[in-house]
Amino acid sequence: MAVQATAASARHAPVFAMKGVTKVYVMGEVEVYALRGVDLELQEGEFAVLLGPSGSGKSTLLNILGGLDRPTAGQVTYREGDLSEAGERALTRYRRRHVGFVFQFYNLIPSLTARENVALVTEIAGDPIAPEDALALVGLKYRLDHFPSQMSGGEQQRVAIARAIAKRPDVLLCDEPTGALDISTGIAVLGALEKVNSELGTTTAVITHNAAISAMADRVVSLADGLITSDVRNSTKQPAATIEW
Amino acid sequence: MRALDRKLLRDLWNVRSQVLAIALVVSSGIALLVMAQGVFGSLLTTRDAYYTRYSFADVFAGAKRVPNWIEERIAAIPGVRQVQTRVVVSVSLDVPGVTDPINGRLISLPDRGRPALNDVALRRGRFLDPDRAEEALVGERFAEAHGLDLGDRLFAVINGRRQPLEIVGIALSPEFVYGIGPGELFPDPKHFGFLWMTRRHLATAFEMEGGFNDVALTLTDRSPSLERAVIVELDAILDPYGGLGAIPRADQTSNWYLQNELTQLENMGLLVPLIFIAVATFLLNVVLRRTVAVQREQIAALKALGYSNVRLGVHYVQWAVVVVALGALLGIGAGLLLAEAMLGLYMEYFRFPLLIYSVSASSILIAVGVSLVAATVGALGAVRSVVSLPPAEAMRPAAPETFRVSLFERLGARRWLSQPARMVLRNLSRRPVRAGLSIVGIAFAGAIMVVGSAMMDSMDELLEVQFNIIQRQDLSVSFFEPVERSAVHELAALSGVLQVEPTNGIAARLRNGHLQKQTAIQALTADARLQRVVDVDYRAIRLDRPGLVLSTLLAEQLQVEPGDTLMVEIMEDGRPVREVVLTDTVDDLLGVTAYMEQESLRRLVRRDDTISGAMLKIDALAEERLFGLLKAMPAVAGVTLRSAALENIQTYMLDNMSMMMSVNLLFAVIIAFGVIYNTARISLSETSRELASLRVIGFTRGEISSILLGELGILTVASIPLGLLLGYGMIAGVMSAFESELFRLPVVVDPNTFLVSAATVLGSMAVSAWTVRRKLHELDLVAVLKTRE
Repeated sequence: MAVQATAASARHAPVFAMKGVTKVYVMGEVEVYALRGVDLELQEGEFAVLLGPSGSGKSTLLNILGGLDRPTAGQVTYREGDLSEAGERALTRYRRRHVGFVFQFYNLIPSLTARENVALVTEIAGDPIAPEDALALVGLKYRLDHFPSQMSGGEQQRVAIARAIAKRPDVLLCDEPTGALDISTGIAVLGALEKVNSELGTTTAVITHNAAISAMADRVVSLADGLITSDVRNSTKQPAATIEW
Repeated sequence: MRALDRKLLRDLWNVRSQVLAIALVVSSGIALLVMAQGVFGSLLTTRDAYYTRYSFADVFAGAKRVPNWIEERIAAIPGVRQVQTRVVVSVSLDVPGVTDPINGRLISLPDRGRPALNDVALRRGRFLDPDRAEEALVGERFAEAHGLDLGDRLFAVINGRRQPLEIVGIALSPEFVYGIGPGELFPDPKHFGFLWMTRRHLATAFEMEGGFNDVALTLTDRSPSLERAVIVELDAILDPYGGLGAIPRADQTSNWYLQNELTQLENMGLLVPLIFIAVATFLLNVVLRRTVAVQREQIAALKALGYSNVRLGVHYVQWAVVVVALGALLGIGAGLLLAEAMLGLYMEYFRFPLLIYSVSASSILIAVGVSLVAATVGALGAVRSVVSLPPAEAMRPAAPETFRVSLFERLGARRWLSQPARMVLRNLSRRPVRAGLSIVGIAFAGAIMVVGSAMMDSMDELLEVQFNIIQRQDLSVSFFEPVERSAVHELAALSGVLQVEPTNGIAARLRNGHLQKQTAIQALTADARLQRVVDVDYRAIRLDRPGLVLSTLLAEQLQVEPGDTLMVEIMEDGRPVREVVLTDTVDDLLGVTAYMEQESLRRLVRRDDTISGAMLKIDALAEERLFGLLKAMPAVAGVTLRSAALENIQTYMLDNMSMMMSVNLLFAVIIAFGVIYNTARISLSETSRELASLRVIGFTRGEISSILLGELGILTVASIPLGLLLGYGMIAGVMSAFESELFRLPVVVDPNTFLVSAATVLGSMAVSAWTVRRKLHELDLVAVLKTRE
């Protein structure tokens, strides 16, 4: 498997490259190691699932990839740019131009409708997808003018996905996107992610503790206690609609 | 300490800057109240003690010359307890080294012992030695104004003769707490002074031996009916001796001004503090509602642990009580300090030999009590909705806020607005009552600023009218006795005099049925140019018809309208009573006056063509020499400079108003900052999750700041016109409350006042925004993604 991964990286330059990334949180007088020297590369167009129990460091990894946090040690590069050395302004610009986020609790703006939540991003992006098209892509073209309080959790999460992809991000980072949802709505959300990955070719990283989701990934990276314990490429991808848990 | 009390203290500590901001608003209200009550109470107590200790009289009367034996008749009037007769004369004073004309009043003290009434309080030096003719006591303010000390000499110009006086004592008197000269509004100790001399020597100098021209008495009780009866009797007794009409204590000049000031203080002490307390209550309610909403799950957990609704209610009420108590402590302290500073200012203008600090504890307790009750009600309202939920339900997060498209957007603005702008509008329109109250709260800050500065604008306008439109003479001369009209030519012949206009005045009592008013009738020539009668639009009124023109306020008091007939009792020469038609009323600003054309007045009093004074326009270069010439004229009793009067008033205003302005500015900033800062913190607390989400998806700090501050900006900008309007309304209210016989302030607001008010509010907003922006920079982007609100 490792050989295949190397072959893949030979074909494409990696989107992300992490080398020896360590993250230490100082909690009072205790130092907590969230990541302990992680090396990882993500390839163009790849659908990766980062799997691990809570406390494994997967969220920290995603936050560092997304420019929300900086490593304590090690290097993170996004294409040619060094994220580990970037300042506050540069990280904001990076998130604005290149990253789409999807969160466990959707983080929609309650005072804006579905369309307006998406427009929030398209108004500040360079070459966006029209909000209506982004919402159609996630199956919400009939819910354009609903406020978050008028939609179900699954619908809200799909609005969040539409909001994340509308700017045509280079990477889509999803933190437990189905964590607050039941199975059927969770599957609909995963279907939306699958569709975005295949139709737009957006590099996607999903972190989850739900092993069932790994079946739909190109590649499954497992973490435990701040270290990568396995990095596996799926030979066959299972469609999201057939996943069960 | 119980666990819940620890929670209370830590919760308060967490929002300490908001707690402090609210406590400051509470403290401003209480400080203003304590200040007003403290000044009022202290002045009242001090005045009463002073009047009692120095035997201030109940009734006062002047006459031309009354033989001494009449005193027994006066003492025999039923209801009279004590009588004090005196000799009182107006003179010109000459202080070595001073060229400006100075007017003075010499008052006699008994040859032996102390006066039974209107005693003097010796501040320094000693009482008069009856054997030494030149000794005098001088009033304290006059001595201070001229740097006079014991042993210094000055001169009273009596009938053109300079009578030297040696100062042996510096004194105060309950008669001259507010020591103004005739026709003055503010004490001007540089140009007017009170002096006391031994009766024997004063009478000799003024040919008043064996007689008196002034009497004061106290009554057995101070009932109005007795007072009226005694005044009628006294007038009848003094009538043959040129009695000028007796007046009760209430109309005695110094006491009248003092009473006026006390009434104003009493009224002012309530309204403004109430505004502050109302605003503080609103802020407390908003902050508590937010606290309770954030702590919804904690409250549910506490209930699940067995805490009762009442105990939890008390917990949040304590929250409010701590804030009010903090504000009350600060407010009482600041109020006492301010009261002392204000009293210091008052002591410059109202002179007492003693000062008794007196702050009514009950009024402070009432203010603190009202604040506490208001805060408690606000707190209970906030906590009720949460404690009434069953714990299981309360432990679940509250349902998401529902929003709708705002009215403004539905009217068609929607497509022009960016998403952040829509967020701002919808956040505001979701809580219209709160937004409205915030606007009103901030508007009060603007209004307070307008009121503070507009007082200055009105005073400026008053001075402009009084000293540029009405009075245009450089100086006015008054004579001891009416002199022949030909004196005008003598004055005009003095070199340096450019223009002379005669004036004439008589003391009179105007009567309409049972209503009556003692005043002076001022007679001007029909074509007077140096002193004019001016109406509300500042147009000169020509006195060309026979009859009276009255100040509107005076006409109202007498319930007469133009065309009506008044009875005029002339307070001299047998007190004849005549009928006079009221020809016009005039909305003048200063004093209450009756005007008449000079020839009409002459016919009314049926006497020779005399004048009692003159207005002069002079060549500034000849000023000094002219003062000397005028002083040397035996008939001249006093010379008043217009410029000196104006300067004196301006100094007074600068002293008094600048302190009031600073206090107002401070309080306006506190209230503006209190409201804006709290509004900002609450909306930050409510939207921090949204703002952090926006930061995560790539919005810059500047962009999210503009969302939060946009909300503040809209509230602040909306409050400005309202504040200006409120301020205008308040100043109109204050002015009509101030309307008195002393002056009517015109409601004038300079555009600069509006600008300063708006700038203060915007400045407070900028500071609040800057403070909150720092909090925005500390938003925890990661934490917000991991939690549900």
